[in-house]
Amino acid sequence: MTARERRTRILQMLQLLPILSVLVILFGGALVMALLQSLGFAPWFGINTFPDFSHFGSLWGSQTFWVSLWLTLYYATVSTLLALVFGTILALALIKAFPGKWLYKYLYKLPLMIPYTVGIALAVIMLSSGGVLSRIVAFAGLIDDPGQFPQILKTHYGWGIIAVYVWKQTPFITLAVYAVLLGIGRETEEAAAILGARRGAIFFRVTLPQILPGIVSSTLICFAFNVGAFEAPFILGGGFPDTLPVVAWRYFNDADYTLQLQGMATVVSIGIVAGVILFAYLWVYRRYERRMGRH
Amino acid sequence: MSGGNDTLSMRLSPFQKIYLLLVAGFIVGPFLPVIIQSLAFRWAWPELLPGTWWLEQREKSMLPLAWDYVLSPYSRVWEATVNTVFIGLVVTAICLAICLPVARLLARESFAGKSAFEFFLSLPLIVPEAAIGIALLMIFIRMGLAGTYAGIIIAHLIPTIPYMVRMLTAVYQGLGRDFEEQAMILGARPLQILWRVTLPMLLPGVVAGALFTFLVSTNIFLLTFFLGQGQVITLPTLLFSKISGGNLDTTAAGITLIVTLPGIILLIISERFIKEEAFGKGFGS
Repeated sequence: MTARERRTRILQMLQLLPILSVLVILFGGALVMALLQSLGFAPWFGINTFPDFSHFGSLWGSQTFWVSLWLTLYYATVSTLLALVFGTILALALIKAFPGKWLYKYLYKLPLMIPYTVGIALAVIMLSSGGVLSRIVAFAGLIDDPGQFPQILKTHYGWGIIAVYVWKQTPFITLAVYAVLLGIGRETEEAAAILGARRGAIFFRVTLPQILPGIVSSTLICFAFNVGAFEAPFILGGGFPDTLPVVAWRYFNDADYTLQLQGMATVVSIGIVAGVILFAYLWVYRRYERRMGRH
Repeated sequence: MSGGNDTLSMRLSPFQKIYLLLVAGFIVGPFLPVIIQSLAFRWAWPELLPGTWWLEQREKSMLPLAWDYVLSPYSRVWEATVNTVFIGLVVTAICLAICLPVARLLARESFAGKSAFEFFLSLPLIVPEAAIGIALLMIFIRMGLAGTYAGIIIAHLIPTIPYMVRMLTAVYQGLGRDFEEQAMILGARPLQILWRVTLPMLLPGVVAGALFTFLVSTNIFLLTFFLGQGQVITLPTLLFSKISGGNLDTTAAGITLIVTLPGIILLIISERFIKEEAFGKGFGS
């Protein structure tokens, strides 16, 4: 290596350094510390039994953990899928020309710009037993007491949670798919139509394979977010057993500080589950891409 | 073109027209009852409109009601707004400063471990926030950063860096080197080139990246809530504390609208700067 090459090398490293330190020290460091603690390393509490798998043992051994895991994945998956379907249909409509399109393009992006807590407030006023939907049903003469309105919020079906996620993430997926649609143009669809393909065939065999990269990256981000989200299940969820992030938070704030280690085991479990699912998803997608002859 | 083929006509099908209306109703419809609630004094079930309005009760009450309360210092709305904007601005400035050189490297140069670095860069987007939040809190408590502005600002860098780098890299890729090379041939010094050639050409992309980062930062709830420890409140965490009981009273409705306001402003500004293509970047391929 010449002196000149070495100099550019050092210069490059210097430029990468700030981001590397934030990501490696904070992000990576946090994950490593979480793992160490979940394995019994917490000298500041006077606990150091590393490596000790008992925290994972007692966590994974309890039945409620598996219920929590199921609820977490159920809310995350259902809302991602619904947002994907709604978002894709919306993106396909948005590439058409229609009057007022400029206004619509502002309007549909609103949820992207505001926090999830606003979405939760909207769910509360619409869906709670004294909420707007219940008043409309009463106005139609179907019920005469708020107690008769079927409970939508605070059940383990999680309709409220799912509604908030779908409300917030449909625009996100729409935007991702719409951007790809703008990029690919319409020539291939036209060619398929001229060759006699029908609507369904054109979508599933021509359009869908082309928008797949946008779909995969946006659903990946949504799913990961939903698995780790806290505020919606905390307010709108059915209570015990909670989703995993809420469980971790409760352990962490327990008066018994040794439970913090179990909280860390929960945190690590969330990471493992999300990691395994996302990598499996990416792996399947890569295989599909290779089969299609891309990459 | 065959007449009945809706996918290819540039006009909306009847289904699409109805669909667009339904989605619009789903997205903005629920704001209407929130506005009504924020102006109500008493809105009993099953009335479709409040029986008593805030303005009717305003003079009779000793305590500030509805909007009077929301806009008073007791509600801490102003404090939360200032915090949100302050944290967002600092996060954006730091993020921009550390991401610009990296974006240039990624767009123009190759170096050992580049693809590994790019992969690592996208990880914060797909590692669940709760995991990061609680793990960081543990570290920040030891370091004395929990409940401080510095701690929250540092934490906000984690989810904003990936977006900023992606957007700026795209800008650099679209820029080309010709102008900088010409400036160099004409004898400009490196700093001069950066200041007078590169930066002005990058500006639209930089503005877009900055707006987007500010937007992400002002929307973060979990990291602020976990790491702020109740000592630093922002608009999302303030609203959370108002609605965590599971109902939306008059003042909570007012605060919901206040929390929505910056988003509307950002939406109007950003539509001019952020290109839709920015969201369509593929993942780690």
